[in-house]
Amino acid sequence: MDWLEQELREALRRQEPSPDFLERPRRAHVLPMRRWMAAAAVVLAAIGAGGAMREYQGHVAKERVLLAVRIAGGKMNRIQAQVRGVAQ
Amino acid sequence: MKRAGLLACFCAALCAQQFKFDLDQLASKASDVVDLSLNGSTLQFAAKFLDSKDPDEAKVKKLIEGLQGIYIKSFEFKKGGGYAESDVQSVRAQLRAPEWSRIVGVKSSDDGENAEVYVRNEASKITGVAILCAAPKELTVVNIVGPVDLDSLAELGGHFGVPKLQNAPKK
Repeated sequence: MDWLEQELREALRRQEPSPDFLERPRRAHVLPMRRWMAAAAVVLAAIGAGGAMREYQGHVAKERVLLAVRIAGGKMNRIQAQVRGVAQ
Repeated sequence: MKRAGLLACFCAALCAQQFKFDLDQLASKASDVVDLSLNGSTLQFAAKFLDSKDPDEAKVKKLIEGLQGIYIKSFEFKKGGGYAESDVQSVRAQLRAPEWSRIVGVKSSDDGENAEVYVRNEASKITGVAILCAAPKELTVVNIVGPVDLDSLAELGGHFGVPKLQNAPKK
């Protein structure tokens, strides 16, 4: 039975905790928090960039519509004026 | 896959447009080219960015409501003869009865400009407008798809930096 006693004594021997024993759980908690915050920042940045992109595309579309109306309306205006001139 | 997507886009553009603009060959000769292809969803998207408080933009917003597209090709040339009569004819040939009817044709002997307005009628409703303007140094083709108020369009033409013409220029 000596070997068993020896094994048990070895296994149940008092051992001092490592110096970072108390730090470890806190670090384990902080690290995922940081990761989540970084992920949230990336998502927020992506949403912001998406919004800015949409805004930019909207303004480009608006400018194109105004240009189209300027060209088509300008032609129609000129044609109407010529017709009015002939009628007068 | 990409090709299929491009083909689908091209087909969609052609379907929305009421007649073909086979004028791409003129781009290399032109000094200025305007090529606008605005489908219904682009118009509605742009409408959200038009300011209702601005009188002109409010009018544009109202004008484009219900439109399915605006397609414009405009070429300006430094010299005359940048395009051939057959180019104009290729467009004009598509604007035929019974779908299309020419409502105005103006020919100016002074500046050589020839302008025509065609209207597309379906079930007694205007469903499209075509404007064809051919001057010696300029060729412009417009197709507005959907019900459009031509008077409002002409009125808007007098805004946005284009002077409104009350009467034809004195010759």
